[in-house]
Amino acid sequence: MRRFSISPPVAALFLAIVLFLLSGLLPQGFGNNPSVALAQATNILRLAVFVGVIAAGQTLVIISGREGIDLSAGSVVTLTAILTYVIVKGENHMVLIALVVALAAGAVVGFLNGAGITFLKVSPFVMTLGMAGVITGLIIIINHGNVSGKIAPIMTYIIARPLIGNIPGAIIIWILFGSLMWLLQERTSYGKKLFAIGVNRITARLSGVNVIGTNLLTYTLAGALAGFGGFLVVGNTGVVFIALGQPFLFPSIAAVAVGGTLLSGGKGSYWGTMAGAVVLTLITSLLTTMQMGEPVRRMVLGGTLLLLISIYGRQKGFRQ
Amino acid sequence: MAISLSAQNIVKRYGAVVALADGNLDIHSGEVVALIGANGSGKSTLSKGINGVVVLDGGQLLLDGKPVQFSSPHAARDMGISTVFQELSLIPQMSVEDNIWLGREPLRSGGLVNKKAVREKTEELVALFEKAFKTKIRPEMPVGWLSPDEKQIIEILKAVSADPRILILDEATASLDSRQVQRLFGLVQKWKEEGKAIVFVSHRMEEIFQIGDRYTVLRNGRTVGAGMMKDLNEGELISMMIDKASVLKYSRKTKIEEVKVASQEVYVKVNNMHNDVLQGVSFEVYRGELLGLGGLHGQGQRELLHALFGDIPFQGSVSIEGKPVHFRHPKDAIKHKIALVPGDRSKEGLLIIRSILENLLLPSWKEYRFPLRMKKAFQDGGKIGKSLNLVMAGLDEPVSSLSGGNAQKVVVGKWLNRQPQLLLMDDPTKGVDVGTKTDFYILLSKLCDEGKTIILYSSDDEELLGLCDRVLVMHDGMIRTELSGKSLNKHQLLTASLGASNESVG
Amino acid sequence: MRRSLWEILNLRYPFILALILLILAIIINLSLQPNLLQREILNSNMRVFLPMILLAVGQSIVLLGGGIDISVGGIVSIVNAILATQVGLNGSPELMWKFVAVSLLVGIIAGVINGFFIAILRLQPIITTYATSFLYGGFALFILPQPGGGIPMDIANLYRNTMPFNLPLAFFILPLVLLAWWFITASRFGRYLFAVGGKPEAAYETAVPVTSVIFSTYVISGFMAALSGIAITMLTGSGNAEIGGLMTLTSITAAVVGGTAMSGGVGGVAGPMLGAITLGLLQNIISFSNINTWWQTFVNASIIVAALAAPGVIDLIGRRRS
Repeated sequence: MRRFSISPPVAALFLAIVLFLLSGLLPQGFGNNPSVALAQATNILRLAVFVGVIAAGQTLVIISGREGIDLSAGSVVTLTAILTYVIVKGENHMVLIALVVALAAGAVVGFLNGAGITFLKVSPFVMTLGMAGVITGLIIIINHGNVSGKIAPIMTYIIARPLIGNIPGAIIIWILFGSLMWLLQERTSYGKKLFAIGVNRITARLSGVNVIGTNLLTYTLAGALAGFGGFLVVGNTGVVFIALGQPFLFPSIAAVAVGGTLLSGGKGSYWGTMAGAVVLTLITSLLTTMQMGEPVRRMVLGGTLLLLISIYGRQKGFRQ
Repeated sequence: MAISLSAQNIVKRYGAVVALADGNLDIHSGEVVALIGANGSGKSTLSKGINGVVVLDGGQLLLDGKPVQFSSPHAARDMGISTVFQELSLIPQMSVEDNIWLGREPLRSGGLVNKKAVREKTEELVALFEKAFKTKIRPEMPVGWLSPDEKQIIEILKAVSADPRILILDEATASLDSRQVQRLFGLVQKWKEEGKAIVFVSHRMEEIFQIGDRYTVLRNGRTVGAGMMKDLNEGELISMMIDKASVLKYSRKTKIEEVKVASQEVYVKVNNMHNDVLQGVSFEVYRGELLGLGGLHGQGQRELLHALFGDIPFQGSVSIEGKPVHFRHPKDAIKHKIALVPGDRSKEGLLIIRSILENLLLPSWKEYRFPLRMKKAFQDGGKIGKSLNLVMAGLDEPVSSLSGGNAQKVVVGKWLNRQPQLLLMDDPTKGVDVGTKTDFYILLSKLCDEGKTIILYSSDDEELLGLCDRVLVMHDGMIRTELSGKSLNKHQLLTASLGASNESVG
Repeated sequence: MRRSLWEILNLRYPFILALILLILAIIINLSLQPNLLQREILNSNMRVFLPMILLAVGQSIVLLGGGIDISVGGIVSIVNAILATQVGLNGSPELMWKFVAVSLLVGIIAGVINGFFIAILRLQPIITTYATSFLYGGFALFILPQPGGGIPMDIANLYRNTMPFNLPLAFFILPLVLLAWWFITASRFGRYLFAVGGKPEAAYETAVPVTSVIFSTYVISGFMAALSGIAITMLTGSGNAEIGGLMTLTSITAAVVGGTAMSGGVGGVAGPMLGAITLGLLQNIISFSNINTWWQTFVNASIIVAALAAPGVIDLIGRRRS
């Protein structure tokens, strides 16, 4: 297998920069104006935060191998957004509780996913897709009375508005988040175990790793992280509706792939996913600027993922 | 119908290892030629060379006098050479009849499979082994429902259904019971009369002498003898298989001469360990001993090691230092200071795409606290690497960048950090170059000198003889013989492995 | 080795579990809706179930070969969009049949694309067909951005009301599908299919053309998805590019309920057909029961998850016992 001389996250970053500069050349682009460029860049980054956070859990499950994926992330985002919305009701002091509830709800869903995948041997794709439907059903039950709620001012303050200098709080949160994710992957024994089970579960087991526990924990974490994503999303938009989380799902998976995390597992990093999230946000934003609607957006996303896996994802043949 | 296949001066290399240096074999119709050799003699390679499974690096094959090359097993099959594999080629979910005729189903007009013909022909084939099956085999049964011996017979029938001119039985009797073997031999007789040529690759002395007409013996990758079976006896045959000049120059200097000394403490005691492979294994291991497991490959050695490690379930009891233990998972064994070096390093021992450091420290990360103290990790990794003479570009490099020998060192190295008291090793020097082997032998000696206990399986008899204090020879999931002291020599070892004679040893 | 009666039955008749579940579903449905088996109601139900039955059959064939096709919903949407826009409410029958042919071709092409990436480039089936599902879904939206268009009323009514011999149309289409499947299993290709799904390495050792076999399964799936799209367009008479969305998961569930293993090599076509009807009846049961409307999506989704998890639960119990 060819070794890429540039590591995939760096390549993704490079791609992001190229795309951004290209966008500058468009009619509505920043052209020669650095301050407009900066404003647009900031905006892109701010938008990328949400895909990026939601893609964190996705990164973990994909690294865990065995075709790991979390298709319930979109619905978990919607669910936890609604829960947050309903619990906070505009009160600042309820925010922390809402956050905890969001994380917990996500974790429960993740755990159910993990249990089905690990103990009942249902494939991750099918299990999480099925759960997505169940959660959507749950959301309809909660939502039918047209939930009333409101986000708290402090949330808007931290997430949507500029926090330090001109940098929106969301970006700062994301950077902190990214550092924590790095810490988790590279500086905890859980992280090492995660990579191990992603590469070779037999070796992992024979080296004392509790494969089942690590797998369960990974899906649970992924659910909790998606829950955090939902919390952030509602903090940014201030409104909830049934399809809130859906648009984030595919980009979250594509972001992981762009960022160079092997879809077969065992290798990857969240920094790459972050770069991937930026790339994907840029693509989406470019398409919007070019007046290409949802249909083209979907086709481009599908085609991009297809292209990526053609490059990164070929499997061994039978001839040894 | 007369056929002859001649393999002349065959050479085959796997990387740096020369499996066959000069292989020769002559096959004629109406004859059974027995292809014989000890572990590592090259006989399996030669049998794979004549049926198209491996590509030859040198020499030639003559079929009926004309040079020929097989690009694949199918090409060989099309020319009339069928091989009985070790159940590799059966599909568990499909029925017996579908498996036998896969790809060669008799067709009706219109391209549809003639199911009636398939059924009838399958029944004829199965009937050949009629009374030798414990249960009735129906053609529509899924192969996955069959026991290993039944599956092996289906493999045989599959090869035979192609009406080959040359039939290669490569260790085909390994899973069969004596009644089935006798039935097979009856069929072999019939096939001989029909003019077929049979190649019988095996270790089992009684069978070789019963069925073989001619023999070819391989040793160290070369054909060292060929002739008529009736001109030979067992002792002479075994002598031909053994290399008198010892290649292994290394021999442990501080071997324990008298094992059963009263002051020797029993470290591990195993009583009646059994599962689907092990048939009641009982033995003791003394502290500081290097105990060898010998015998042909696949007699339960791997299962014994893995059971002790808590990787596979078993009935029976195990006690360590007198205290009974029951491991349900490798991490339990690891807590008790046991380590396992598995037999297949890429499948079981390494995380190929991860770094050397990550491989070396995989069982140990918990000790580096949170956040992981990477500086100490690198230091420890470096220490292990040095103590093993590990040749590497750096601890951060992926383990795939290492040579076979060095990669194997990593598999062992991952345990050294943890000071294990008992090391279980499954053929640790397989596929490793001579220089690295020596490094290993030195390491193992050192560990024993320090009081560690080692249970080692090796497919290399030289190694067992040079390293071990005692050797337990296994056969069919049981310990057959124990060799130590004077009885621990090449001849006894090979004899015991082959189950050749009933001489008492010890 | 002694095998339980259940295992033996399942071997000869892989659809047996689906049959039992179907009978149960019919009984429950009958109790809630006594006129279920009456001519008109039966036809009405069968014409609603037919698209899903066709989709489940295609999915089952892909699963048999060891793969999976997540893009089937997208293909259904494309076909629906094409018919709704190109034929329109006032189209002529000739136009309709012309675009029916076009749709079938589109389905085949979509299958060829999938087959290319999976069989020839050796990409993972799940992620590949997930990507193409977006490609195809987006294309459907491109053709028909807003729900609208449709096919002529009389053609739709042709589908809805044709009842040869007073039996639903579906009762004549399904035997055709079963016949086609019989042909497949009676040919070498059928054996190749099971071999590739059962143990690809062993199939390869035995000179089975693995690549061609896998490729064909995706083409078949694409074709069936196109048929399904035609059926559903004839059913609804109108166009909606999101129509295929939920159908994918249901097609997988129907196949699994019908006895097709997700790991490949085990299953058939009759079972998924019965499975699809059972799932359809379950929908009916939920509608007719006293379950709160707001709860219906949840219940439906939970049943699907339960159906998908069932083989695993059965396995787990089996392992605990031994």
